[in-house]
Amino acid sequence: MQLSDRFTVSDDVVAREVGGETVLLDLSSGQYFGLDTIGGRIWELLSERPHHLSELCDQIETEFDAPRERIEADLMALAKQLQDQELIAADAA
Amino acid sequence: MELKLEPPRSQELLPTQPYDRWVSPEGYCQAEFHKADAGFLIRFPGQADFLIKEPQNGFDFDVIGWSAPECDDKTAINLFHNAIQPILGNHTGGLFLHGSAVMAGCEGSDAEAVPGAIAFLGLSRGGKTTLAGSFALSGNPFLTEDVIDLRLNDGHYLLQPKRSKLRLFADSARYLFGENTPIEDADMKQDVEAGSTLPFADRAVPLQQIYVLGTDHSAPLSIRRYSMQEALSALMPHAFILDVEDKPRLKAHFARMADLSQDIECYSLDFTRDYAELPRVRAAILDNCQGV
Repeated sequence: MQLSDRFTVSDDVVAREVGGETVLLDLSSGQYFGLDTIGGRIWELLSERPHHLSELCDQIETEFDAPRERIEADLMALAKQLQDQELIAADAA
Repeated sequence: MELKLEPPRSQELLPTQPYDRWVSPEGYCQAEFHKADAGFLIRFPGQADFLIKEPQNGFDFDVIGWSAPECDDKTAINLFHNAIQPILGNHTGGLFLHGSAVMAGCEGSDAEAVPGAIAFLGLSRGGKTTLAGSFALSGNPFLTEDVIDLRLNDGHYLLQPKRSKLRLFADSARYLFGENTPIEDADMKQDVEAGSTLPFADRAVPLQQIYVLGTDHSAPLSIRRYSMQEALSALMPHAFILDVEDKPRLKAHFARMADLSQDIECYSLDFTRDYAELPRVRAAILDNCQGV
């Protein structure tokens, strides 16, 4: 996985902010997942349209007070988890 | 919505594969959902079939039921009230959950406040109705024994009263109403009508708390508050869903359930399923409800 990779959210996932966190329900598996504030923001951005990971890093850097290296590392880790769970998928376009 | 009950018919093999099933914790199929011409066919094996025709205007479903030959029509009518109506209620934007409810009078600490309702969600044979009956016999009227019907009104989730009877298995009926309670069929639930000793609440009251009954029937008594996120995932399995392939409706339903999990306190409730434990369980719930 690289920062130039582009991702989109799965059509099988519904999301909702609940009590300051984002809860995801994978309709195909019935499994639930939780995202913290930054994870929820990343999900929101991905839900609007497909994004390159580098674009997401740019956006998160403008909104949250954290070093770029940390944002990139955390975002890559999150994206891998989401992809492994088939909550997001690589977007070829 | 009305049920048109046809003469009993045998449950022949259906030409379609079910797109969804309700499966009990023991692994047996409680219901099969099939797509049918202009609607759905829901089969409760050994009990009844229901054909649901999608309405032209979006709301008035045509529901035709057939009891299985080995069952009487009362079973089909109970299934219509306790499963088909809530399934269609959620399908059309309502908020229905599988559970019982009683009045608890726990709206804050102000004694003059409007009494509230507490709901108990759980799987079949999980103790919901017995718990509601136990509360009613001790003076907390019951509102429903199997279907939680919530309507949002002026910031409150009003819990609607349903049928004024409890449906109990023989052992629970005998525990609650005495060893001499007449039992029609020891293997079937018995209908027990509300009355002076079994009070029924015949008006809607605001929902105050939800308790989700644990599945470990030998667990010690414990009450734990769910986070809002936990509550959402704990409540969802107790909803009635007609079409798990209808994603727009599922998304809308998820949003309604998310609102409920944020607005209403939800708890996990474990207790040993021993009738002698019920007074202690009731006391713990009421203490929790009153913030003791």
